[in-house]
Amino acid sequence: MPEPVGAMPATGTGGSIGRIAWRLRPVFLFAALAALPYLLSYSQQEIAVLLVINVLLVSSYRLLTLTGEWSLGHVVIMGVGAYASALLAKQAGVPVPLSMLLGGCMAAAVAALLSFPLFRMKGFYFLIGSFAAGEIIRLIWKRFTDPFGGPKGLKRIEPFPDIETGFLSIDFYEPVNYYFLALVVVSASLFVLYRIERSRIGLTFHAIHWQDRLAESVGVDTFRYRTLAFVIASFFAGIAGGLYAHYIGAVNPTRFSVDQMVYVLVWAIVGGTATFHGPILGVVVLTVINEIVLRALGLDTARPLIYGAILILSVLYLPNGLESLGPRLRALWQRRRGGSAAAGSEPA
Amino acid sequence: MSRKSLDRKISRRKFLGTTAASGTALAAMGSGLSRVAFADSHTIRIGFLAPLTGPVAAWGKPGLDGCLIWADWVNAKGGVNIGGQSYNIEFVGYDNEYDAAKARTGATKLIKEDGVKFVMMLGGDTWPGVQKIAEREGMLFSTLLPSDLSPDSTTLVAPCEVHPIYNVTGVEWLAENKPELKTAAMCAQDDALGKPSVATYLAAFEAAGIEMQDEPLFFDPATTDFAPVMTKLLAGNPDILCLDTCYADYVHPLCEQAFQQGYKGQIISCTADFYQKIIEKTSAEFMEGFIFQFPDFDDPALNSEGVNFVNPNEFYAEYAKRYGASEWGAVSWEYASIMDLWADAAGKAGSAEPAAVLEAMKAGGTGKHAFGTADWWGTELFGIDNALVGNWPVVAIEGGKATIKEFRSIPAWWDKHKDLMVKHMTALGQMWNQRG
Repeated sequence: MPEPVGAMPATGTGGSIGRIAWRLRPVFLFAALAALPYLLSYSQQEIAVLLVINVLLVSSYRLLTLTGEWSLGHVVIMGVGAYASALLAKQAGVPVPLSMLLGGCMAAAVAALLSFPLFRMKGFYFLIGSFAAGEIIRLIWKRFTDPFGGPKGLKRIEPFPDIETGFLSIDFYEPVNYYFLALVVVSASLFVLYRIERSRIGLTFHAIHWQDRLAESVGVDTFRYRTLAFVIASFFAGIAGGLYAHYIGAVNPTRFSVDQMVYVLVWAIVGGTATFHGPILGVVVLTVINEIVLRALGLDTARPLIYGAILILSVLYLPNGLESLGPRLRALWQRRRGGSAAAGSEPA
Repeated sequence: MSRKSLDRKISRRKFLGTTAASGTALAAMGSGLSRVAFADSHTIRIGFLAPLTGPVAAWGKPGLDGCLIWADWVNAKGGVNIGGQSYNIEFVGYDNEYDAAKARTGATKLIKEDGVKFVMMLGGDTWPGVQKIAEREGMLFSTLLPSDLSPDSTTLVAPCEVHPIYNVTGVEWLAENKPELKTAAMCAQDDALGKPSVATYLAAFEAAGIEMQDEPLFFDPATTDFAPVMTKLLAGNPDILCLDTCYADYVHPLCEQAFQQGYKGQIISCTADFYQKIIEKTSAEFMEGFIFQFPDFDDPALNSEGVNFVNPNEFYAEYAKRYGASEWGAVSWEYASIMDLWADAAGKAGSAEPAAVLEAMKAGGTGKHAFGTADWWGTELFGIDNALVGNWPVVAIEGGKATIKEFRSIPAWWDKHKDLMVKHMTALGQMWNQRG
């Protein structure tokens, strides 16, 4: 469901300052995100680029889950965007920014096509069907060396063009520059995704999730809305694919296998999917733990074990995801404050 | 202002302040650690960028373990002499999980933050993520997979394993020693490692007059049930069952399936990593005569005069002592042997700088490969002479133990049958100028 606004600070002078600070949250967030790469080492900036791309991937995935369907083909759809964008730039000479956009459109078009067989299914059947559809696409990439490069995939994909003017020179090979490019694209995409969720269409997605029969009874065409969610989610996944392909410079079918999809599911599950920021929390926290903290501690080879343990623990103790941690801590804090206030007001 | 609201204000401030300070400290610690971690002036750092976890870890982790032994031995003797100065060697590992993006991150960390002078990789799917960095930074990289080589990447060398070309030696040995074997069936995972190896085996079988019963069977790398794969392979009762260059995670279940489905013929494979475990799952009789290409280094044949690997038997004994004999795999010695070559070249160059070492390494067109003096070769197949090619051992399991049967010359086979190799590589789109 859409996020409640009740978390906003309350009354009083302190409350009004708090309210202003609360409303300035986006400004603080963007300031922090702008400062972030300058606090990181070069390789951590590389991780930050991939993290920003993955934020878009997992957020777009959440839009699909709003209708109640969990897909196992979302990473393959990202791959469709990556392959399409790479091929358009490499073989048709389309400018990279345009090819990224067209990559997103191609991913959306493939999703629209797949929706005809897939949305005849629901629940586990949809899950298995989406896996099968994804595998078919991956097999096509492997089978047709021309133009997809076969198992080795595509290499030497055109990078995002550098900006060279008299006073400005931006080399997008440098992770800090690509980080800002990705940040702009992903922020704009997240804004659109957020507005969609808050719109009448988004509410209809929720209605289909929780009461699809009831929604149909009042005239909602559930097939059309499910398709719409799938197509929009796929478009943004395709954009994420384009960002990835033109940064790394190579794509291959293994990169978009079900193994990678498991990571997306884990991010969504650990973060939680009830709120817009839940999956983002999941991907950020797990990536920082996996790629920065555990590596810095010299636990490279133990990472899969620790990653698995975190997943198990979060399912056991945070079944509603990391997004539920804030409200739980707040409730705990208020209970304790209530208790201490009551104790303080007792007569001596 | 009420006490209640004051409490809240202070608490929130405290909370935000503490959180921000912790976050900044964590970020600073992360970046600070990596930035100050440069080696001292008498230590040279070498990067090890390979899969240490995941399904391909068997071709990364044992190699790093072997390198640690190599470094301990070299450092105990005073280090590597370069330009009259002794330097200790320190390995810095980075687990790339066989992913191009993580390989790119790892390469930048190793080069820009750890200050390494040379980076060893497994290669394959991970190389395209690193290629541009290698070109920009001029860093010397090595790969175990020469199919990564191309004229675009002049600082990438394949100085040890010329995968998959050496697989021809196993087939050639079989044809000479077991001429009654006339038919073969083959399977491979459908990926960048499987396909060039299939092309090589096809060329080798054709050269040896061994007939393929069917087209090679490519299975998806995500496959976990190998029963139907094996059933199809054994349908024509082939004399030879070829497992191509399957990962250890596939070779083991494939052998189990062949055993369970009653296969009694000859098996040939590029690798048989942790073969003791396969024997445990099948039987010593079933695995008897299994042909592959990677010896145990306690083999006495490695003490012959032409072998350049230093103290192979002692190396194996130390490896078995530290990690267990059953952990010995195809790559346990390979990265260490590349280090022998690197140390020799750095000594000759009088410098550890990548360009100088590369020049010294390739000087004269020959090099001291682990299994004997070899030639820098590859223009016809890879577009560049950056692969060190010479002799390679053919290994058979006998009495539950890997035994070198013979060292055979790869260039000699190439001189006779290169047209076949080019034909099959081209048919599968594996020539360097056909890659995407």
